[in-house]
Amino acid sequence: MSKSRLASITRRRFLRDTSLALAAASATPMLSAPFASRAMADTKTLTIVQWSHFVPAYDKWFDKFAADWGKKNQIEVTVDHIPVQDVAARAAAEASAGSGHDLFGWNGAGGAHLYRKFLVDLTDLVESVEKKYGKATIIGKQLGYNLDDHTWSAFPDYYINFPAMYRKSLWDGIGMTPDTWDDIRIGGAKLKAKGNPVGISLGHSNDPNTTWRGVLWSYGGAVQDETGKTVELDSKGSVEAVKFVTALYKEAMTPNVLSWSDASNNQYIDSGVSSLIINPISAYRTAQQLNKKVADDIFVMKPPKGPARRLMGGAAEFYGVWKFAKNREAAVDFLKYYADNWLDAFKASSGYNNPIFTNMVPKPMPLLSDDPTSTPHDKLAVLQTSDEWSAVPGYPGPATPATDEVYNDFIICDMMAKAATGAMTAEESVKWATQQCRAIFDKWQHKA
Amino acid sequence: MATIAEPAARTASRFRFILDRREVLGSIFVAPAILYVLLLVGVPFLLAVYYSVSAYTIYDPSWRFVGLTNFRQILQNPVFLETLENTFLFTFASQLLGLILGKFGALLLLRPFPGRKIVRALIILPWAVPIALASVAWEWMFDSLYSVINWTMITLGIIDRSEAPNWLGNPHLAMLCVIVVNAWRFFPFAIVIFLAGITSVPQDIIDAATVDGAGFWRRNYQIILPMIFPIVAVGLIFGIVFTFTDLSIVFLLTNGGPINATSVLGFQGFQVGILSGDVSHGAAISLFMLPVLLLMVVGMLRFIRRREI
Repeated sequence: MSKSRLASITRRRFLRDTSLALAAASATPMLSAPFASRAMADTKTLTIVQWSHFVPAYDKWFDKFAADWGKKNQIEVTVDHIPVQDVAARAAAEASAGSGHDLFGWNGAGGAHLYRKFLVDLTDLVESVEKKYGKATIIGKQLGYNLDDHTWSAFPDYYINFPAMYRKSLWDGIGMTPDTWDDIRIGGAKLKAKGNPVGISLGHSNDPNTTWRGVLWSYGGAVQDETGKTVELDSKGSVEAVKFVTALYKEAMTPNVLSWSDASNNQYIDSGVSSLIINPISAYRTAQQLNKKVADDIFVMKPPKGPARRLMGGAAEFYGVWKFAKNREAAVDFLKYYADNWLDAFKASSGYNNPIFTNMVPKPMPLLSDDPTSTPHDKLAVLQTSDEWSAVPGYPGPATPATDEVYNDFIICDMMAKAATGAMTAEESVKWATQQCRAIFDKWQHKA
Repeated sequence: MATIAEPAARTASRFRFILDRREVLGSIFVAPAILYVLLLVGVPFLLAVYYSVSAYTIYDPSWRFVGLTNFRQILQNPVFLETLENTFLFTFASQLLGLILGKFGALLLLRPFPGRKIVRALIILPWAVPIALASVAWEWMFDSLYSVINWTMITLGIIDRSEAPNWLGNPHLAMLCVIVVNAWRFFPFAIVIFLAGITSVPQDIIDAATVDGAGFWRRNYQIILPMIFPIVAVGLIFGIVFTFTDLSIVFLLTNGGPINATSVLGFQGFQVGILSGDVSHGAAISLFMLPVLLLMVVGMLRFIRRREI
């Protein structure tokens, strides 16, 4: 029976049936579209995309916060969390397609200034928040503010600071405190001999990009000037910074740091091996969960001071509303509500998210001034002043597409690594990096 | 005399008549594939050419013709030349290693042994496992702090902890690592190609050669390999094209480091064009792959055709 049926399937019948099936399949959405779109129009939606936070509890808090806001306002809110390394590529994809989420959360370098022409002007929103919670700090302005027409392309949310974290018992053991970069080199060499090296990555990732910029600034060097138009890397300060990193690498670190990812230094100190790292407090928070004894011995301090200043790179987070967003109004309303509840966001992040607006979290700040999970309770108190010693990659100028590309190409990391491994002298390495930066700046100045 | 009425001739519709023609029906069936290639390969390629001669960026998404300026700037960058060199090394070394492993794997799998079918199925795993997942495993094996390879060698007393290889931190070892991972990914495909080729060689030819005194090496390299070369060459073309344009292993394992030692064209194009928003330079970097791949594919296909004739 089945054989005869199969045999009766002719080419003609096959074509006819397939065509009918395809026609039916394609007609279904067309017929149902008016009804479906009417139903969809009745339900307002807000879509948000942002990175998967290093503090998972923050993501849980945010998802619930957004959903509760949605319920109050009869808006269906969807929050997508993506890995931090996918944020830039996702933004590029959404901008190119002219379609995507309503609210986009950027992380680290790159973002608002690059996508300025795709983003809704949020000046009214930021100014209203400034009236309530004080002026935005320099970090917030460097990323979201447009100097040329005094507008805001993005809502500056928070920044992540990079303090020094050291094992107090080990440093007490050699009678030193890692207050300056030179202390770290000298003390680090002693501790390396005891099996506890300093752990700062020289690889291709975000942490070395921020940390080595901090060293560069602390020794008086910088990629660009205050206007953001001229490359100023080829300077005495830069050469001194590179010479210092070469000495630090040889005397106080191990070659392992050349391949490290952002997680490696956390693992290094949390496992009890390293004597010092420069990292956001996620390393300490992880140690609290994994190794309480080590966590109690980890102390947090301002980043080390250099001959010129005490300054460290920071990663800033900000929200943009696409011009092509389906629900721009809801996106702006959500940000207003979020700003009014920012203190809860700060608590949910365990003090990881640092405020951009001066009075958003009044001092003494909860958790940071008195953290019941830390011994002593004021261990994290120094982080309250982090706006004084944190800057974004463009320092002393604004962050621009050119400074982003310098960051994305790991030029400062490689400048340090080339000299540290002996591939170049400090002077040659600075010249190489300057040439790379100039090529990028020239290119963008012609394109912008 | 009874007459049998002739059935009335049914007027065939024009549509049916067209569909009865083999060449028309063939074209209809092939059309989706051609459309697919045109839309998903042809259009992006033309877009890449369009962007590469412009000043198009995410910052200023307006098209302005700049001629070959982007290509000239790229060629003046020493990091790009290093990247180009890395791409050739990464591609050809991993293909060579993959082919050697594939050949030996195929020879081993031709011999009967218990569980051969299971092994044949398992051998495909590196090819089938998502590269993101595989890279996490390889990253753990090459990790500077917790490398399972180093741990094993230290435990077995082969090396001392102080002389443990810094797999992803040493520029030469890092390149070796990405080559090994890509070869590991490619070799199951090479095994399948070799198995298909070797089993298609008539047994009487091999028997005749054996009777004439040809040993293992002579049979393999003077009889079997020349006969299956067209099949192997097609596999090699696939391997070279996919590896030359690949960025996933480098992106996931080394991020181009240390000190750009493992940066390849696909990775650099992605960094510049997507992450940094300089679409025109990113497109120009990607287009540098085209002449190389075109020459290679055309050359190999012509060689195969000559061999077949």
